[in-house]
Amino acid sequence: MEQTATVKIFSKDWFRTHASSIAGYGGVLFCIIFFSITTPIAGQSIWSGEKLATLISDVIVLAILSVGAVFVYSLGSMDISIGKQVGLYATIMVAIANSTGSLILGIVISLAISVVIGIVNGATGELLHIHSVISSLVFMMVLGGISTIIYSSMGSRNVALKTIDHHIFKNTWVMVAVLVIEVLIVSFLFNYTKFGKNAKAIGANPVAAQQSGINLVKYKVIAYVIMGVFVVVAAIFQMGYTGSASDSTGTGFEMNVMVALILGGMPLSGGMKSRVSCAVLGSFTFSLLNVGLPIIGIPVNTVNLIKGIIFIIVVLITCRKSRGILPR
Amino acid sequence: MAKEVLFEAKHMHKAFGPTIALKDVDFQVCRGEIRGLIGENGSGKSTIMSIAAGMQPATSGEMFYKGQKWEPKSMVESQQHGISMILQEANTIPHVTVAQNLFAGQEKMFSKGGLINMASMYKKANELLDRFGVTNIRGRDPIDRLTFEDRKLIEIVRCVTEDTQILVVDETTTALSHEGREILYKLIHKMAEEENKAVVFVSHDMDEILEQCNVLTVLRDGDIIGHLTREEMDAPDAVQKIRLMMVGREIGEKYFREDFIPSHQDEVALELKDIAFGPIRHFSLQLRKGEIVGMGGLSGCGMHEIGKAAYGLQKLEKGQVLRNGKPIKNCLQAIESGIGYISKNRDLEAIILDAPIQTNIVLPSLTSLTRGGFIRPKDEKKLSDAQIETFRIKCGSGKQYVNTLSGGNKQKVSFAKWTAKGSDVIIMDCPTRGVDIGVKQAMYSLIEQMKNEGKAILMISEELSELIGMSDRLIIMKDFEVTAEMERSADLKQTDIIEYMI
Repeated sequence: MEQTATVKIFSKDWFRTHASSIAGYGGVLFCIIFFSITTPIAGQSIWSGEKLATLISDVIVLAILSVGAVFVYSLGSMDISIGKQVGLYATIMVAIANSTGSLILGIVISLAISVVIGIVNGATGELLHIHSVISSLVFMMVLGGISTIIYSSMGSRNVALKTIDHHIFKNTWVMVAVLVIEVLIVSFLFNYTKFGKNAKAIGANPVAAQQSGINLVKYKVIAYVIMGVFVVVAAIFQMGYTGSASDSTGTGFEMNVMVALILGGMPLSGGMKSRVSCAVLGSFTFSLLNVGLPIIGIPVNTVNLIKGIIFIIVVLITCRKSRGILPR
Repeated sequence: MAKEVLFEAKHMHKAFGPTIALKDVDFQVCRGEIRGLIGENGSGKSTIMSIAAGMQPATSGEMFYKGQKWEPKSMVESQQHGISMILQEANTIPHVTVAQNLFAGQEKMFSKGGLINMASMYKKANELLDRFGVTNIRGRDPIDRLTFEDRKLIEIVRCVTEDTQILVVDETTTALSHEGREILYKLIHKMAEEENKAVVFVSHDMDEILEQCNVLTVLRDGDIIGHLTREEMDAPDAVQKIRLMMVGREIGEKYFREDFIPSHQDEVALELKDIAFGPIRHFSLQLRKGEIVGMGGLSGCGMHEIGKAAYGLQKLEKGQVLRNGKPIKNCLQAIESGIGYISKNRDLEAIILDAPIQTNIVLPSLTSLTRGGFIRPKDEKKLSDAQIETFRIKCGSGKQYVNTLSGGNKQKVSFAKWTAKGSDVIIMDCPTRGVDIGVKQAMYSLIEQMKNEGKAILMISEELSELIGMSDRLIIMKDFEVTAEMERSADLKQTDIIEYMI
């Protein structure tokens, strides 16, 4: 068309339209550059093999959860029960492995529970007209209650694997491989199938989505079930790293996932600007701060404060209302 | 006698990212004028005035108002200085009263010691409404109980004050009821002729512009093509001349269907069997393959609700909607059985504003685009580009977001969704709302082509000319009941129909 002129890179318009990507990529780049310079000065480079392994083990559970949660967040929904789910699944896996000698049964039971929770969380919002956060809040409390009952009946606050060798889950390469495979699967489903496209459309405008033939209940349930499956995967790594579970396993994970996604540039309202890369970038930014800040001498108890400040800056950048829209 | 220039724009330029909406335009508004601004969708007619009214800044250029340099920061600032704009889409504040809407932001007028005296606000609101000749709405009424059309009227009453020097009416009349239009026309003539103020009337309804305006400016692709005086507008060939200026080429004689014989195939495509819901008690309709059934009436007559019911969006108390003999209970079944629906409430129901054009167009077709479990981006692009081409949607590419398009182009997107899907029955609620002549013509010939392909079309419209021009059979409704049914004929006149509507 004659009217087109290219948008100049680094122009004002360019910054406006790409604000969320800039925040996502910029956050990670900044952390990488910052820690590459400062950590060697403090005496221990973040790129040393040992620290890299720490980084991966720190990021793996969060990244698996966040990537899995992309579907649900693209709907404009969220799930605050995933922390408690991780805790319960880890407990179930350890307990059943100790009594049967195999992890398989525990994983299968966890998957079954996660699918049921996914169906309920996905469907209630649409069928009963409840915000899906509320139904996940109910699960958060119910699952927390179940954990308390289990641990109080055992008379201990944690359980550990007795006979099973769980070294495989501590292997850095296994972690990286699982994460890569997950990102590939989720990216494919999210970008090249109806599941992802419909989820984004529902997030952007549920009424128009429905009038265009999208079954809201079905695709919301699918989004929650996909997330549920990856919550189980995350629980395996959480449990496998220490070979144990406790009544506090998973606490706060749901909020970490939300922070990671926002740091990565994911819009909380969901819709078309949701991307899988947000989850990966945000998780790494989050973990880089976790690992890097203590190296340069920031006390561990101040790390959260700094994360909070960075979080606010990102929210300010990404949530600014976009201007320059044609009048109707 | 030279008229006093009230507002002037010099070298006004506006770009939205890659799209240039206004190219270096010079524009003047004088006192006593009712100036029409006419042009195709996306020609920049709304853009000029939205910049003047402070809705958005120009990319470059200068503006002068009452001889002073004019740089409004917001619509509120413009309104305080006397430039008020009534927008195309409704923007009243829901869940409060009419009075609270009218005096939003001016509550101080009624406040005493931190409390607002509601009684005096209601009283003032009633006085204001009376002054505009609006007697059926009172200040105490909850705004949610008002119809879309009446809410529009409230906006007008809110916008226009004694200090208003320039009133901008942006495609508002299509959203008003018959009485509302009369009130608006009376108002603008009073402002221009008695009070020596100015009115800018943005529209693409040629009849209305020719009737109401005393000077006309034509725009095309962000350029001012020319101005017409009242005398030129009265010339017998004025309509052809303006169309030529707007479109930039001859659009030919053919507009509506040229045959005048009602026709259809025997097979029934969609049947509404004695349905009842809400105020609609009995309604039956058989829509056959290759038939265009038009439904007309005033906007509150129930025809829009019938359209929704036919798409499975209404819970029926009685009766059935049948497609090929099978009942349709919700809109998913409707779509699966090949029904498409273009909602009148475009921005909220028909399209996803915050998504690219392509995403919107392919949305109902995703199932058929899936091959071997996945959707190839190439297939999506092909499907959407074909529609962008057919409808001449003004955009850089299918990747452009729909919220950057003008109203008419958005309407094209919501139409294109169903032509892309290839639905066999299409229910169109005001399909050409806000669309300009060139595209209307293309849409009409497309509708005719769909008829010839054996598709069944239910066309609900408030424009009698298109109903007469396109339908095989015409159903007129009034107060939720069918008052007349007419076959296609060359003798059918608008005046014959209106008596059944009012």
